[in-house]
Amino acid sequence: MKIGLEIHVQLPTRSKMFCSCPTTDAPAPNTHVCPTCLGMPGSRPVLNRKVLEYGIMLAKMLGCKVADTTWFSRKTYFYPDMSKSVQITQYDNPIGEGGVYYLNGKKPIRITRIHVEEDPGKTKRVGDLSSLIDYNRSGIPLAEIVTEPDIATPAEAREFLGQLIEDIRHVIDLPGDGERSIRCDCNISVGKERCEVKNVTGLKNVERALTFEMIRQTKILKAGGKIDRETRRFDEERGVTISVRKKEFEADYGYIDEPDLGIYHLKEMADAIKIKESPQKMALRMAHEYGIDQKAAKQLVSTSVGLAETFESVAKEMGVQNAVKWVSGPVSAGWKAMEARGGSPDEVVPIIRRFASGEITDTECALEIKCAMTGESAEAAAAASGDLEKIVSEYLDQNPGIVADYAKNDKAANKAIGYVMRQSGGRFSSAEVVEAVRKAIESRMRGLV
Amino acid sequence: MDRETVERVARAAHIKLTEAELEEYSKDLNDILSYFELLDEAPDCEGFGVNPIEVADVLREDEPRMELDPDVLLKDMDTYERYVRGPRLS
Amino acid sequence: MTMKSILSKLKETNAKYSMFHAMTGDDDPGDSKFLFSAKDNLTSCDMETCSGSRILIGYRPAFDATSIARMRSAGGKLIGKCNMDEFGFGTFSSNSGLEIPRNPYDLERACGGSSGGSACAAAVFEDHVSLGVSTGGSICCPASFCGVYGIAPTYGRVSRYGLIDYGNSLDKIGVISAKAGDLRKYIHVISGKDEKDPTSCAQPELKDEGRKLKSVAIPKEGVEGLSKDVEKAFEESVEALKGMGVDVERVEMPSLKYAMPAYYVLATSEASTNLARYVGMRYGQQKGDLSLKFDDYFSSFRSEYFGSEAKRRILLGTYTRMAGFRDRYYAKALKVRQVVIKDYKRVLADHDAVLAPTMPFTAPRFDDISRMSALDAYKADYLTIPANIAGTPHMSVPCGYDGNGMPIGMQFVADHWNEEVLFDIAERWEKGFEMRRPEVVG
Repeated sequence: MKIGLEIHVQLPTRSKMFCSCPTTDAPAPNTHVCPTCLGMPGSRPVLNRKVLEYGIMLAKMLGCKVADTTWFSRKTYFYPDMSKSVQITQYDNPIGEGGVYYLNGKKPIRITRIHVEEDPGKTKRVGDLSSLIDYNRSGIPLAEIVTEPDIATPAEAREFLGQLIEDIRHVIDLPGDGERSIRCDCNISVGKERCEVKNVTGLKNVERALTFEMIRQTKILKAGGKIDRETRRFDEERGVTISVRKKEFEADYGYIDEPDLGIYHLKEMADAIKIKESPQKMALRMAHEYGIDQKAAKQLVSTSVGLAETFESVAKEMGVQNAVKWVSGPVSAGWKAMEARGGSPDEVVPIIRRFASGEITDTECALEIKCAMTGESAEAAAAASGDLEKIVSEYLDQNPGIVADYAKNDKAANKAIGYVMRQSGGRFSSAEVVEAVRKAIESRMRGLV
Repeated sequence: MDRETVERVARAAHIKLTEAELEEYSKDLNDILSYFELLDEAPDCEGFGVNPIEVADVLREDEPRMELDPDVLLKDMDTYERYVRGPRLS
Repeated sequence: MTMKSILSKLKETNAKYSMFHAMTGDDDPGDSKFLFSAKDNLTSCDMETCSGSRILIGYRPAFDATSIARMRSAGGKLIGKCNMDEFGFGTFSSNSGLEIPRNPYDLERACGGSSGGSACAAAVFEDHVSLGVSTGGSICCPASFCGVYGIAPTYGRVSRYGLIDYGNSLDKIGVISAKAGDLRKYIHVISGKDEKDPTSCAQPELKDEGRKLKSVAIPKEGVEGLSKDVEKAFEESVEALKGMGVDVERVEMPSLKYAMPAYYVLATSEASTNLARYVGMRYGQQKGDLSLKFDDYFSSFRSEYFGSEAKRRILLGTYTRMAGFRDRYYAKALKVRQVVIKDYKRVLADHDAVLAPTMPFTAPRFDDISRMSALDAYKADYLTIPANIAGTPHMSVPCGYDGNGMPIGMQFVADHWNEEVLFDIAERWEKGFEMRRPEVVG
């Protein structure tokens, strides 16, 4: 069995790929749009520098050769959410070609190419009457990573994607919830002919779709049947793949060069870009360098690269033994809590240092680390979250209607969230604000009842 | 270019042709393509260019900005609750 | 005629010549310094923009094309949007889905295309400048048929922001006027870098240092297949140029014959992708049966609203970039473009411009046009196409009249970014050339 993937990753730019529309969550459909991403006659694309930079970073991470010169192409296909009926993508001379990714540090998965392209808008399906389109997503930059058919099983595909995404997230600072935004076209052949399952979202679904396809194709072959080369889609709810079109009806994309953008010389840019070590590579190196178990090293890195870095600095200063005992132990256990409250590992390193020099006992050290991780003693953090609650509470006092509206439609919270975000001037993450607002409204609702 | 090819091209281009149009365009396109055979004998060239002049490395900084009010852009569009209306998908 | 009187008779004049698809209803020029018009493929906030196509009826752009915006900031008042071949697809402006402009010298004849309405306006109105757009000759051809001056500057000289695309690697916005001096004046106004069009950012500054045109090369390939009247007027003009002290040399440019097929491959390949967006959603015509499946909806819509030449070029361009044919046509045409550019550079290393008649014949009658085959019409552009595929600046100047009194033009082609020599020769030529303005009623 052979599996090859085409992986689409949204790049974390602030503005779209070919226009300046923001990439943040939009308040309503078709609000982050302009003539360019709506494909209006007379509009024109201008390339976002950051897209090339991210593309180069990923190409380097995947060990691809970065092209000296790259340019864009037009891929023509008709679909309501593709505003120009043309997607600006890359065909000849993509950003990177010929890389390799080592699954678990061992098994090579060859990378055919990586290129950048624009995302289409989104279609809301509404029965038989018509479709409704939101172009807010139109023009968001994507990187597409294409592998050779080197993956052996659906489970391996999932494992590969998991590691790859972790690496990507670290190297280009992708936001944490990136998994859902990963979309894959999965090519799988059990016999000679392959099928492509288009646009599968998320790791789990990739494995499910591939497993379904594997069984389906195997059954056909066993019964003496023939696999048709075709494009299929995955129905998430039913867990099945469905034929969309046979190969002979495949759209002919008719690629031509994109004359509106010109060409890009990447050499200088690529030389200037240094990428961070990817988590998978870091784990391998650490296992080797500190003589620890590969699994343990991976555990550290996958919890957080920051944790692995703490391990390294403790190991270097106070020996591997202390690093294993403390960093892999209580520091690792409390890491997520520390991150959640915005703490820093700088607080725990001095505690370990005091243990190493014999100032405190084993028990004292364990207790102090636990406090430092959970922040029970960190009053400043507590005060900050109190601050947030205060802003929320004052706003709800002045706008009691929101609580009542919320009972009917939870979108009512957006007003309060927006206010608090503006009011606090970015001191709190949107996740924190959303959580605080929701909590406050819900506690008031209970109060009302 | 035979009729079948013209039909295939028309399908790809999302143009429906009547019988008369199919006839007419098959003839026209054949005339034109015969003339294009001239290209086969044209000399090759080392140079490459997407454009007739070199346009290179024109980039924009990654700064979000909205110049036009999206409501103005939507004013003449067929919309429903701010969604743009399109034909059905299947 | 004052600006006010032109404005007050605008409707009346247009009824006779059909130069405009949309026009201002305002008859007060206010403190405008000049009146101008623009080809209807340039977006304008205050007037519907259709690019000659029924599919775009109802498109009211939210933004001005940069070239129009710059004309307005220079004190210009936009009085009308000029009729044209649908999306620029034609040589006579008779492939319009809207109105067809009529030649000011003979209403039974065409203005040329595809900027026919622009050349018509420049010929009819006094002190008028019109913005045209050239992809394969769409400025010089109508300028020649309407007896006026027209310049298409170097590709990338004028921002294409706001231009409704035909062929993005070919389209150039330029100026048409009955006065030679307007070419220099208004190319200065509309040219320059624009961050909204990357291809405009490659240009060096527009020079204006008094460089003169001293020598021209006349390619053998450029004087073949001419009508008798055109040949005669052209040869007389060459003598006149010599009399002005311009050196003339006859040369060969063997690549020119390949320019034609290469041009049509590139132009239609690009056009077929540009026109893919017109599917009856988002702008222009949007009335269709949405309960059709999208493929059917798009196909019926496009079949209903595109004109026959648009369909022909979409089919041709879709074919030439299809898998299996792409290398033979599209990829080869890109290479041929480089060959043509090299040929121009070779000749222009020793000469300031390449000279030939603009069109092989004068403005034809509409009934003759209707009898031409598609290929015949394409071939009529063989003199204007080479400079267009090469992206070199080129200009048509009036150089005579045929037996029916129809104007004849000749075309100078300079090297990339050397518009200056074209301005110079236009202004010097104007002093010695006896121009016959059409008899305009109204």
